[in-house]
Amino acid sequence: MCECCGQDKDIYLPQLATVNKARMMNGTELYLNLSMDAEPLDYKPGQFVEVSIPGFGEAPISISSSPTQKGYFELVVRKIGNVTSMIHKLKIGDKIGIRGPFGNGCYPIEEAKGKNLVFICGGIGLVPQRSFINYVLDNRSDYGNITVLLGTKCHTQRFFHSELRQWSQRSDIRLLETVDEKDDCWQGNVGVVTTLIPKIESELGSAFTFICGPPVMYKFVIMALAEENVSRDRIFVNLERKMKCGVGKCGHCQINNFYVCVDGPVFRCSELAVAPEAI
Amino acid sequence: MSVKKLSKESLLNWVDEIISTKKKVYGVQKHKDKTDRFEFAPLDSTADLRLDYDVTVLPPKKYFQPPTETLVAFDLKGGYKAACDTEKFIVIGIHPYDMIAINQMDELFQKDNYDSHYMTRRNNATIIACDVATASKDIFASSMKTATVKKGYDILLTDIGNGYVAEAATKKGQLLLDKAKTEKASDADIKARQAVWENNEKNLNKHPLNCQPSEVSELLEKAYNHPVWEEKAKTCFSCGSCNQVCPTCYCFNVHDDMNWDLKSGDRKRTWDGCLLDGFTKVAPDHEFRAKKSDRFRHRLYRKGKYVPSKIGGQIACVGCGRCIGACLPDIANPVKVYNRLLEDTSAVKK
Amino acid sequence: MNKPRVAVFDFACCEGCQLQIVNLEEQILDLIGAVNVVEWREAMSEQSHEYDIAIIEGSITRPEDEEKLWLIRSRAKILIALGACATLGGINKLKNNFDLNDVKKCVYGKDASKPHLYTELTKAVDEVVEVDYKIHGCPIEAKEFISIIRSLLIGKKPEIPEYPVCVECKAKGNPCLWEYGQLCLGPIIRAGCNARCPSAGHRCYGCRGYINKPNVEAAKDVIEKYGLSVEDLKSKMVLFGSRQDNTL
Ligand SMILES: Cc1cc2nc3c(=O)[nH]c(=O)nc-3n(C[C@H](O)[C@H](O)[C@H](O)COP(=O)(O)OP(=O)(O)OC[C@H]3O[C@@H](n4cnc5c(N)ncnc54)[C@H](O)[C@@H]3O)c2cc1C
Ligand code: SF4
Ligand code: SF4
Ligand code: SF4
Ligand code: SF4
Ligand code: SF4
Ligand code: FES
Repeated sequence: MCECCGQDKDIYLPQLATVNKARMMNGTELYLNLSMDAEPLDYKPGQFVEVSIPGFGEAPISISSSPTQKGYFELVVRKIGNVTSMIHKLKIGDKIGIRGPFGNGCYPIEEAKGKNLVFICGGIGLVPQRSFINYVLDNRSDYGNITVLLGTKCHTQRFFHSELRQWSQRSDIRLLETVDEKDDCWQGNVGVVTTLIPKIESELGSAFTFICGPPVMYKFVIMALAEENVSRDRIFVNLERKMKCGVGKCGHCQINNFYVCVDGPVFRCSELAVAPEAI
Repeated sequence: MSVKKLSKESLLNWVDEIISTKKKVYGVQKHKDKTDRFEFAPLDSTADLRLDYDVTVLPPKKYFQPPTETLVAFDLKGGYKAACDTEKFIVIGIHPYDMIAINQMDELFQKDNYDSHYMTRRNNATIIACDVATASKDIFASSMKTATVKKGYDILLTDIGNGYVAEAATKKGQLLLDKAKTEKASDADIKARQAVWENNEKNLNKHPLNCQPSEVSELLEKAYNHPVWEEKAKTCFSCGSCNQVCPTCYCFNVHDDMNWDLKSGDRKRTWDGCLLDGFTKVAPDHEFRAKKSDRFRHRLYRKGKYVPSKIGGQIACVGCGRCIGACLPDIANPVKVYNRLLEDTSAVKK
Repeated sequence: MNKPRVAVFDFACCEGCQLQIVNLEEQILDLIGAVNVVEWREAMSEQSHEYDIAIIEGSITRPEDEEKLWLIRSRAKILIALGACATLGGINKLKNNFDLNDVKKCVYGKDASKPHLYTELTKAVDEVVEVDYKIHGCPIEAKEFISIIRSLLIGKKPEIPEYPVCVECKAKGNPCLWEYGQLCLGPIIRAGCNARCPSAGHRCYGCRGYINKPNVEAAKDVIEKYGLSVEDLKSKMVLFGSRQDNTL
């Protein structure tokens, strides 16, 4: 407890974690496996943490592992700017600051029980979705069919290769992939992720759908789902916005009446009707 | 707690005593550079205190959320340490509209996640508020129902001509007021204070709003695509001045400062503003609210709709009028926008 | 860790910015402790290794300067333009935008027709070579210089403000100079100087250059609203605005 304010927790104070594993997954994405030094991270699928690098700042990063796995959590970080470049320098045994988990808008674990689930991911959008996908796989009997659609720019940017291979070999989860840019090493589908949607028409009847990808993707996927008569209360989007605090104070992540950091990052699309800035 | 009366002289003596015994005392005084304006600043001498001021350039939020403050200190060896500003202080002369803005900030900084940095300062403060004696050129507190205030302060002073009525609202305030030479306020004094209140509730109104503040949220509901946003924002500089001077703006940026040892440093937060270009810009290069008109609209929606929905409907504009004076193209005036929308509501019904 | 080698070069300028660095006082020791400053001659010599950071002060006015600059660029890992002369072309740059005679009159008064004032077109450093970072100002702001150098020393991309001077001016609690009849360029000029001039009672004349999307049209409106004229501004003020796209 803080002597001066009497509060147990300073919401801006990072807690230390240790890097268990760190490896590049392709040219730009780093996989990190971490454990908190003090209390373990108690999180739900869909939540994120603020990763802190002294002197550089903080970056909000989705938790990619499922809470069904205990004792560690996983992140995947794309190198893009100041903080993420430093995160890429981390080595096994290094200490790093973590705040969180943050976000009250998580995946609808309870409500989705018994439903067919369709995950539509654009590139690094797979990272947060993976948390819920693996959660569902670990509680397989609670849920209906699982379909994952994954669109990547080009095959060299794919990651989680062995996990994707496992999924494609399992009978209780269906994975469809596509790449935007065709080349000789890629045998599969070519085209944006929306081109996969007609292929899974039969799944979409009463399914819950989950979208995560780059900002431009949402509008098109929602349109494509609308064409398949998926109503907006069965579409969930995982939104990204600029974040500075992660705790609903700094104002950067606001979309109309919502703070993505507190009210999201996962939103039910029908609830965003009042937030024209969202999509 | 009882209501007291202080003569003008005993008020001065009391402030003298406060200055000489307390470490940090801030009060309203003439602006150091432009003497026709007022500011909150460290109060060195009672003679500088100006309880008859109209409005200060910056609101007193700077004492609770300073323009720059350290949140945590860091050290490359992996250590983070929370910064904590523990100094007690007194602020003299906060007007009711600014007090109400602070009350709103108190709610917002405690809501969802308790912000101990703001709240520690808030709890360390003793606030001596005072009713408005001179209307500023752009005030519209009467319209916003913020011309008088009932809570948040420790002591409220009201100038009734032949002295001040002083009412302590907290134990901290009572203890402080006990040090003054006071008498019990007479019925006439209480009546005189009531008259000041009634007058202020009517006459601090240079820009009358043509509806109840509680109706603004509903008004905005219908106005999202109104042409006024585009029209006004055409001449917007995106300078953020309307944000910076507003007592209810609290958005901030966070950045790290490294010391020369290149090992340790501070993580700081600084005032930010939603009108500024880049406020919503993410890596690699996407700006969510890239259009000036969208940012201009966001500010007024935040004041009139979004924040109210988080704090029980109170509108987050207290009618201080600071943004009106701060905006060079003269587009920031919230009342002008709201009144314009009122006139046009029939036209915008979708 | 090896100390990064830093070389400083000055071209056409008053050296006021170097003076700001020299005036860092106690911090100059910290600076010298953290970097290895190489001499001009050493830096330009044939056998010189590459240097980590080249700091260029001043604007480029002569063909032989351009050649020197190309050489520097080829040897520097990071190239920084220091001060308004280097980032914007500085005061000299005026002539590129306005009628040359008017400008000479404005800058040099009655000396305008003297022959030694003839030069080639003035160029900012980034018109000759690629610039990694710009440290703005005339002269530069010592605090900002320090924070940018410290950022570079830890391998961080410095955060250079994109917002206008008004932000810092307001945060300092200054009443706006426009209300006192002064034509201040604060709303369209990049911050970072901690509103140096308005805080001292002088209008901002734009030494840090425009923000990315300056609303120049609005500025003209406001100038009229306050009963001033754009001509007032042209003749007196935008000494530094001239190389940029939208000019008042
Ligand atoms: C909820 C959420 C989850 C995310 N999950 C992941 C993830 O799992 N993996 C991953 O690689 N990236 C993720 N991102 C994006 C990631 O946060 C940004 O790439 C990162 O903040 C860039 O920081 P930087 O310092 O490297 O870049 P700089 O350009 O130097 O950014 C400076 C600062 O601006 C803010 N900022 C800049 N870009 C973003 C952005 N895209 N989103 C939010 N804040 C930003 C941050 O505060 C950042 O520190 C997520 C973003 C959000 C909002
Ligand atoms: S919006 Fe303007 S008038 Fe309202 S509180 Fe803020 S500064 Fe004052
Ligand atoms: S509304 Fe006025 S004060 Fe606000 S950013 Fe625009 S020009 Fe500046
Ligand atoms: S930028 Fe200004 S101070 Fe610096 S060298 Fe050039 S003229 Fe001198
Ligand atoms: S004085 Fe200049 S910088 Fe300051 S607020 Fe006014 S216009 Fe902006
Ligand atoms: S106020 Fe304007 S002119 Fe003065 S230093 Fe800053 S940018 Fe330059
Ligand atoms: S990140 Fe600060 S409010 Fe959401």
